[in-house]
Amino acid sequence: MEKILSQEKLREWVDALDDCEVYAPAFADSVWNFARVKAGADIDLSHTNTIGSVKEFAFPQREVFFCFEKKDGVPVLTPTLPDPKPTVVFGVRPCDGRGMPRNDTVFNKEFEDPYYWARRNKLTLVGLACNQPHSPNCFCQSVGGSPHAEEGLDILMTDLGDRFHVKGVTAKGVEAMERGRDAFDAVSDADQAEVEKVHATSRSHSQRPLGNLDAIAEAIRESFDSPLWADMAQHCIGCGICTFLCPTCHCFDINDEVINPTTGEGERVRTWDNCQFPDFTMHTSGHNPRGDLGSRLRQRVSHKFLYFVENHKTQQCTGCGRCITECPVGIDIIAVLERVGQS
Amino acid sequence: MVNVEEIRGYAAGLLEKGEVKSVLGFRRGSASAFAEPCTLIEASDAASLVWDPTCLNNLALYLVKDRKQQAVSKTPDTRPVGIVAKGCDSRAIGVLLQENYFKREDVVVIGVSCEGTGVVDPRKLSAKLKGRTASRVTFDGADGINVSVYGDGTETVIPAREVLADRCLECRAATPTLNDVVFGETVEARGYNEPFHAAKEAEKVSEDERWANWEHHFDRCLRCFACRAVCPMCYCPECVVDSTTFVVTLGTSAEEKANRIRWCERSANTSESAVYHLTRAIHLAGRCIDCGECERVCPVNIPLRLLNTKLEKEAFEMFEYQAGHDIEQASLLSSFRDEDPNSFIR
Repeated sequence: MEKILSQEKLREWVDALDDCEVYAPAFADSVWNFARVKAGADIDLSHTNTIGSVKEFAFPQREVFFCFEKKDGVPVLTPTLPDPKPTVVFGVRPCDGRGMPRNDTVFNKEFEDPYYWARRNKLTLVGLACNQPHSPNCFCQSVGGSPHAEEGLDILMTDLGDRFHVKGVTAKGVEAMERGRDAFDAVSDADQAEVEKVHATSRSHSQRPLGNLDAIAEAIRESFDSPLWADMAQHCIGCGICTFLCPTCHCFDINDEVINPTTGEGERVRTWDNCQFPDFTMHTSGHNPRGDLGSRLRQRVSHKFLYFVENHKTQQCTGCGRCITECPVGIDIIAVLERVGQS
Repeated sequence: MVNVEEIRGYAAGLLEKGEVKSVLGFRRGSASAFAEPCTLIEASDAASLVWDPTCLNNLALYLVKDRKQQAVSKTPDTRPVGIVAKGCDSRAIGVLLQENYFKREDVVVIGVSCEGTGVVDPRKLSAKLKGRTASRVTFDGADGINVSVYGDGTETVIPAREVLADRCLECRAATPTLNDVVFGETVEARGYNEPFHAAKEAEKVSEDERWANWEHHFDRCLRCFACRAVCPMCYCPECVVDSTTFVVTLGTSAEEKANRIRWCERSANTSESAVYHLTRAIHLAGRCIDCGECERVCPVNIPLRLLNTKLEKEAFEMFEYQAGHDIEQASLLSSFRDEDPNSFIR
């Protein structure tokens, strides 16, 4: 389904989704991030990219698995499977959209994660094509994506200035469009021509190249023991920015959090974890197989451009560039891959 | 004006003569318009050094890293390290010396005067550009910061005081007091704002509003620990907020591991993140030298500097103490003077 939506009628469509929780990018605290939209009039799609990725809607930083307590001396477990309202997220950039099928694979391939899917199944992702890159660190096209890629999105919107072209990509997306059907107009031949032109122009902007991704995977495989990793991680501070902001990083930790030590009441909780933290691979013996920052940088890069490819036949990076832009010391995954490729 | 060629020449000289094993400085990076840290080993590398208001990092962090590496190395390289340091950065080195983290002869401080200007705050720049990226940031030599906006290539000039880091606006010592050499003119800070201006402004708000504000920020915290990781004073090998709150060795018993105390859960929620940030702030009282790195690196822009300058202000008002200003002085928490206020002891 393809439709035209005027800028003014965007709010009408959003208001028609009143039984859903609607999120969209908002500029607050000097940064774009997803925020709850209470009324269609609040929506502002002039964003660059959000600091947090869309993964957190299916894989929140904190997920309670179950509650536990002691009743008459007997431990009682209460499951807490999430049951969220249908959630529609606007303004999802195509790089983040492409991240979601990669996360779906992780949470589905060997084991269907009920917590992830309880949220994911209720999620409708409304993408917004990037008419031009937001930052010099955007590289979606270098990892097989595009500024108007539909993969992972339920709807793709394209900004045509005074109006949007809106394409329902999945049945879920078409259904969300049906809900606001009065807001939409038919697509004319001129509209169609313009969308194609905008998309073609968006692809023509230069992005940093990565070269042959198969060759990169091979180069990483051969560089496992290379001193390059330690050199490239020389200024790494070992924080979690790169992985927490990444649309495809999905590692987690599970802990029991005691609420009341007397009654034994508490929760088993899943939280995001991070291969850049020293305790990520810490063994109970005290031995740490990835005891230095070089081996942790190698893990992050290898997972995205080698291991994930071996396991799932695609890169686990969609070129959003957050890890480059937000790194406090300028560690640049493209520069890293270039150096590994040249070694 | 600082002549960067002089810094390059000096750094190259140190390396050539073998007086240092490396020089920590700034170079242009591929990731952004802001400079990135570099470690020079060869004198010929010195040509890559840069100096301008995009040299944000406090490189003293890497002196700490070097010390930690030496501690675990079987053949530690104990030669001194050269470091390019702004006024604030030199105070960090001062605190590390006061705390005996290393010795004065272990470091060659290549001081650079900010000449009353300072560095640009990427957060303020982002606010000006509504999240868009700057592809070039330069100082116009007077009162303006020239910015090229990525994408459409727009060039704008922003008044310096609108995008300089808060600490630079309130700077009390733009010239490194601890140094082996200083480049640039020794000028007074411009005094855009009085010392502790931001902290004093924040104090004007009612306690309820302040708490609501901090709850809002703690709630947004991702617990990426970048603020701790970037802080040269957060050098503890074990941290109360980590899942492993003590150093596990082969000799650590199963019981010790099982009975470890978790002071702070991993959940990034308001209460746990408040515990983390307030604990960190308290541990930096009398030690924080206001380099503002914690606030700069925060990906969600939590105004962390306010927490630390508040305590810095207390230390100054109660004990006339300024961290890192005088390395001969005993550190605040390990000294007592008869005239110290003691009204809080009941």
